[in-house]
Amino acid sequence: MNHARAQASPPGARTPPLDTVAEIETPEHIRFRYQLAGPGRRMMAYLIDLAIRGIIVVILGLILQLSSYGFGFGGEGFSTGAFLLVAFAVEWGYYVLWESLWSGRTPGKRSMHLRVLKEGGYPTGFLDIALRNLLRAADFLPMAYSVGLLVMGLDPRFRRLGDMVAGTVVVVEDPGRIGHGLVVQPPPSAAELASLPARPDLSSADLEALDLFLRRVGTLNPAREQELADIIAPVYAKRLGLQYTHSARFLALLYLRAIGRTA
Amino acid sequence: MRLWTQDEFVSRRQGEWTALSDILTSGKPLHKLPAADISRFSALYRGACADLVHARDVGFTPDLVSYLDGLAGRAHNILYAAPPYRIAAAWDLVAREFPRALRRNGRFFALGMTLFFAPMVLCLVATLFFPEFAYQVLSREQLQGMADMYSEAHTGRDESTDAGMAGFYVHNNVGIAFRCFATGILLGFGSLFFLIYNGVVMGTVLGHVIAAGHGKNILTFVCTHGTFELTAIAIAGGAGLQMGYALVDTGGRTRLGSLRAAGRDLAIIILGAAIMLFIAAGLEAFWSPSAAPPPAKWALAGVFTILLTLYFALAGRSTTTARPGLRAGSQGIVATPTPGGRP
Repeated sequence: MNHARAQASPPGARTPPLDTVAEIETPEHIRFRYQLAGPGRRMMAYLIDLAIRGIIVVILGLILQLSSYGFGFGGEGFSTGAFLLVAFAVEWGYYVLWESLWSGRTPGKRSMHLRVLKEGGYPTGFLDIALRNLLRAADFLPMAYSVGLLVMGLDPRFRRLGDMVAGTVVVVEDPGRIGHGLVVQPPPSAAELASLPARPDLSSADLEALDLFLRRVGTLNPAREQELADIIAPVYAKRLGLQYTHSARFLALLYLRAIGRTA
Repeated sequence: MRLWTQDEFVSRRQGEWTALSDILTSGKPLHKLPAADISRFSALYRGACADLVHARDVGFTPDLVSYLDGLAGRAHNILYAAPPYRIAAAWDLVAREFPRALRRNGRFFALGMTLFFAPMVLCLVATLFFPEFAYQVLSREQLQGMADMYSEAHTGRDESTDAGMAGFYVHNNVGIAFRCFATGILLGFGSLFFLIYNGVVMGTVLGHVIAAGHGKNILTFVCTHGTFELTAIAIAGGAGLQMGYALVDTGGRTRLGSLRAAGRDLAIIILGAAIMLFIAAGLEAFWSPSAAPPPAKWALAGVFTILLTLYFALAGRSTTTARPGLRAGSQGIVATPTPGGRP
């Protein structure tokens, strides 16, 4: 569990980014990054779950009422008592049941792409889930999850009290997709590409910057595009010892060469 | 050094990523897949992990890295999933873990019982000897309402009102129990307050109703479910006190780490209390207001009291049980110093 934590890494190691990201390390010594779920997203998930809980209680209540009036089953007292038991079970059992049977998700969390995990990135056990959900009573105080929101705001990992005691975090599970490859218009000719060295030595941060710029090209004002390109292009030309005529085109070609595109 | 270009890399590997993603989106737990698929899954997962490291290392574009991050992360969650839930584990909790955890933390259990029942008995006696005392605690209207409610015996004839009121108390008392526990996180002061406060209120009401001459009604009504309910409230409060105490006496850990070390026992205890409350709720809704004769209610209360005492004292004492109990995450709730956690 320790090695999942930033502080356990050797001194001088890369500090975790100042971001809403939790990094965990697996037995395969792979580090995953999870985006932590903030209060807004979790509140949405809560509201969805609240609505579902409401619907469940209403439907079960109606069934109990009908069984009492329609079939004379048990009488009114029975149905009222049973209804309150149902309301009690739904109020306290809903989260525990869903999160333990659906590996840390409820329908509300699922729809917001959220999942509850142990802090080391492990799946949550039943006891963790029971604990974090019973402590909703503390987070709810004095009303409408005020304490929970306050604590969440102060904690760098957006944990409410229940999360802290149970040792859980809520993460965003973005399925993600591979973005379509960057399209450069007009398509570069072989000669144009050959004018630059194959695989220029660019760091991933360089690539990310170029990528971001080139993806915005279509949406920028041409004058602005030129202005930005004129700032960046000389930097790379100087570093790599290259010449260029058209700065924006140069950046596009440089990017294509760096990711190894031949056409 | 880049062996493949990004486009080559994607076109070569994408087939496996899609295959892995398909297994993930099918939503089936891993242990329900055929054996061949399971071993294929782990191969695909390791492949994706290697691809992730490679993509990060050679600096492929961020969208590819984050896609692989997400893919491998989701696969990791499936592969290292919590063990499936077994009925045996639930039985273990009731039959062994709960009474064991209570005995292990016996002093908090005793403290909870004392802080809850001592004020209750004191106020009960005070109200019996000095009826005016009740008005110091609750308003005249509230007390009158309570007295009226128990002015008639529960014979089952007025079932709808009784069940309605019972339902109200189910919510109310369960809320009390969980609040007694959860507010313990405020260094235990919340539990302390709610235990004493509820003891005072319940004792006063009991005393007042008895003094008003309806003692037989209220006691007959309360005796059976009260055995479970009041004990569960005291247990929940005791667990809350334990939670607060873990924040103060950390045993050399960080405060959060100390809290988490106590977490497993706390979870077991509060789950046990919740089960007791559920039993109490059932009794309160259907047995207590029923037309069953008072001697039957008292007899059942006596039987339950004896059984509960024996259960707390003896259940789970045998040492032959090698079966693993409930598991809290694969690593358990282990105390580790937590970066970023507020001490």
